[in-house]
Amino acid sequence: MSGRARGAARSGASAACSRRDALRALAASIAAAASGATGCARRAPDGRIEASLWFAYGGKNREVLLSLIDQFHREQDRYRIDAVYQGDYFEALAKLRTALAARAAPALTHVVGEVVPYLAEAGVLEPLDRFLGAPGAGHADLDVVEALGQAGTFVGGGERPLVCLPFNRSTPIAYYNRDVFRELGLSPPSTWDELRAAAARLVVRDGVGTRRWGFECPIDWWFWAALVGQAGGELLGPDGAPAFGGEAGVRALRFWQTLVHEDRTMKPPPGRDYNAWQVTNTDFLSGRVAMIWTSTAFLRYLEENAGQAGAGKFEVGAAPLPRDVRSSVPTGGTMFVMPRGAAPAAQEAAFAFLRWMMQPSQANAWATRTGYMPVSRRGLEELTRSGYYAAHPNDRVAVDQLAHAAPWPWSPDLFRVQREAVQPRLEEAVLAQRDAAETLSEAVRVARER
Amino acid sequence: MTALRSGGAAAGRSGARRLISDVVLLVVAVVWLGPYAWMTITSLKTLPEITRAPAYPLPQAIQLGAYREVLQAVPVMRYFANTVLMATAIALLQIALALPAGYALAKLRFVGRNAAFVLVLSCLLIPAQVTFVPVFTMLGAAGLVNTFAALILPFGVSALGTFLVRQALLSVPDEIIEAARMDGAGELRIIYLILGPMLRPTLSALFLFSFVFHYNDYFWPLVMTTDDQVRTLPLAIALLREQGTGVRWHLVMAGNVLLSLPVLLVFAAAQRQLLRAVTARV
Amino acid sequence: MKPRHPSSPYLLLLPTAAFLAVFFLVPLLLAARNSFYAWDLLTPPRYVGLRNYEVLAGSGELMGTLLRTLGYSAVVVTLSGSLGLALAVALDRPGPVYAFVRGAVFSAYVVSWVAVALLWMWILDADGVFSAALRGLGLPTMSWLGDPRSALLALAAVSVWKITGYAMVIFLAGLQDIPRALHEAAALDGAGPWRRFRHVTWPLLRPSAAFVATTSLILSFQAFDVIRVMTQGGPVRSTTLFVYAIYEHVFVNLRVGRASAMIVIFFGFLLLLTVLQLWALRAGAPREGRRPS
Repeated sequence: MSGRARGAARSGASAACSRRDALRALAASIAAAASGATGCARRAPDGRIEASLWFAYGGKNREVLLSLIDQFHREQDRYRIDAVYQGDYFEALAKLRTALAARAAPALTHVVGEVVPYLAEAGVLEPLDRFLGAPGAGHADLDVVEALGQAGTFVGGGERPLVCLPFNRSTPIAYYNRDVFRELGLSPPSTWDELRAAAARLVVRDGVGTRRWGFECPIDWWFWAALVGQAGGELLGPDGAPAFGGEAGVRALRFWQTLVHEDRTMKPPPGRDYNAWQVTNTDFLSGRVAMIWTSTAFLRYLEENAGQAGAGKFEVGAAPLPRDVRSSVPTGGTMFVMPRGAAPAAQEAAFAFLRWMMQPSQANAWATRTGYMPVSRRGLEELTRSGYYAAHPNDRVAVDQLAHAAPWPWSPDLFRVQREAVQPRLEEAVLAQRDAAETLSEAVRVARER
Repeated sequence: MTALRSGGAAAGRSGARRLISDVVLLVVAVVWLGPYAWMTITSLKTLPEITRAPAYPLPQAIQLGAYREVLQAVPVMRYFANTVLMATAIALLQIALALPAGYALAKLRFVGRNAAFVLVLSCLLIPAQVTFVPVFTMLGAAGLVNTFAALILPFGVSALGTFLVRQALLSVPDEIIEAARMDGAGELRIIYLILGPMLRPTLSALFLFSFVFHYNDYFWPLVMTTDDQVRTLPLAIALLREQGTGVRWHLVMAGNVLLSLPVLLVFAAAQRQLLRAVTARV
Repeated sequence: MKPRHPSSPYLLLLPTAAFLAVFFLVPLLLAARNSFYAWDLLTPPRYVGLRNYEVLAGSGELMGTLLRTLGYSAVVVTLSGSLGLALAVALDRPGPVYAFVRGAVFSAYVVSWVAVALLWMWILDADGVFSAALRGLGLPTMSWLGDPRSALLALAAVSVWKITGYAMVIFLAGLQDIPRALHEAAALDGAGPWRRFRHVTWPLLRPSAAFVATTSLILSFQAFDVIRVMTQGGPVRSTTLFVYAIYEHVFVNLRVGRASAMIVIFFGFLLLLTVLQLWALRAGAPREGRRPS
């Protein structure tokens, strides 16, 4: 393309932008005129200021969240939080993006950690500092557990304007069938080699089939990131370009391939995204696998359902993930964010709720009832002091593991890279048995192309 | 079920052939009715029953707990009302627009008539999935995302509708229109008040078909709505399959029954009209 | 007829034309324009020329998606068509039992894709009733939706279940148009049932077959709901068909430009199919000017 053509094209693009901006401005004024639009603060019939909260949980977590919101409504009479379910994380994120584009975003929502840098860099998140009162006071009043807040979750997160607060935070942990382990005299593996050996001991074959698998773990970016960290690699290079751990990334992928194809002790759960997570859980509960990796989030669910009377009743144990050259786990789960564009009153309501949720008692209620981690520092101290962790050793595992939490790189491409370049290729390498090194170098190539 | 009428000869069949056709009948019935039965059975179970023996054929006792839970967790009635409102509005709008267009295409001589007909047909074979991104951004710019307008307007014109109305009008004698013109009736009056009632079978077929199609639609409401106020039933039912922890299949199936039953009832009551539109017979 | 006023036909077509322009033509043009940009809906678009097309073609994504879509369509169209024909012939008998079974088969076409997809997900679940039945018969089973080798076939099978009723109904309508006398004459000539089908029924059903084939081809090309609900395009992209790929680019990969390029290509294919359909309709021309049945 000639230089002139390129220049013309550029000016065409900017013309298109300004036209779009004009349309948006027009739309915004129409929306402002129509009082029913989402962007406007609504007043509930009882005179409270309303803010909508989009959330992405089903089942038990939804019940706990809704009961907390009810409690919030009982404890004060100024604000009302209107909670709307938007499907799983990915579906809710798709909704959020379209709503942002259409200027119809809610005052408050929560998104997976890896997507925060993208949204923040796109300028669609409200900086939270301005709700915190005196400038420079920092985030002290919220007092979140450092490793779970913005500062600890992202490389250099503490130096940036605050845009997110921790909500349901988790790390991956290992769950094992205590009864089976006791029977075989095994203890939870603490290195990759031990994991491999334990899986081999645990597997029970039945002719060509397998009656009980030794190990199962969703073939998912999150667990692979854990493996890469343990193998000593970093996801992004120092310049922020995707590296995917280099040699460590390959080793991580080969580890899975070995367990699945060579040892045939690991079951790769079928399906994509949370389908695979779910299969992992149900396989564990039904005794088809003796050891799994999944989120701390499922602790209560797994404990309760494994303990139910019935033929398959067993005791659930939790253990930290094993190390390779080092111990490392990613953090996961979601952060609260306030999308730009909501009416000031709605934002006020949303932040009031946020602040309330960060208080020790609410943060602890959420954590102990679901299995997510307590995000309030004082709350965590309280739990430790009151002997909660002595009584619930499984809950302790994730908290202790935080010492090895690896922060995510602050990169707007992090999420795109994960979904587009890495995730499908992990499945390909493990399920369709592609060469690990080749798969990852392809992933790097795709990730660098913009 | 008279509409799926049959003209086949039943004469002189031997016992063996009779047996074969009975077996075919049975297999077909099992394959097509079995899933509905399984859906209903599952919806009447409890979660522990399903986890313990997922494929056990019968519920221990008829439990309506799943339905109660779905109705509690999801504002089913509101979504149902939204869905019916949307589907009705689309169907009526399509009829309102198809009548004048079909009339012009069937009855009036003008330059470009064939081109217009082909254009309507071909243009409308473009599915929503091709246009949704720009339409979404346009509607967003107009502040219409998350409103009924966004759900209804894009489907205002129906290719099938225009086609069916045109075909039906072809068989209406010109004399009727001429007589009406003689009496001084305007074109719109002729179209809506004289021809409209005459086309009732076609229009009711079109209405039903369009209603059922949009009642079931998942894609467009998925993309265009984020709000309880306008969300439709298929979306809500699809959201029942909550992920992460085990799927609570009894709830999903109960939701499925609630979603499917109205359509199956419409089908049972008005099979004939529906088929008329499906087979494009007018 | 002569219009009362020369402009009245155009005025009568105006609303339809306006809707077409706003919701079909303009969006199509906008998509064509967007396909030259990199855009994530949130930040300003960046002009990239033909890059989106190059990447789609160069990475093999386009070919892969197209082949999967064609494969799925081929299975769905042939199976639902032939099954629909077989059922139409087998069930074309009087009596309430036959009518009921015909209604049952067709009802699947009326129920929403979401309901059908959720239902079959449960049936095809690794612990589901289908696997249990296979195990009961001593047959091997697998995770039908979780295995990249079987997932697309499983989706195709579900789609066949859903739309076979449609094909059947079209063929039944076609069968009713065949004069009884033709069959009787052929029977008198000593033709057996197969020869009667081959030489009397089939030639007269050809237009119906063309109609079924083209409409279900277009329908299968647009498959989305069933994928969205059952597999989300996985495992390993094995069920990422065209429309789902577009959706994924927009909402997951944040690439509106690339999605738009796919839309333009997809539209090209649909145009091809549309031409095919118009041709088939004309070749069939079974309905023109007939009285209501």
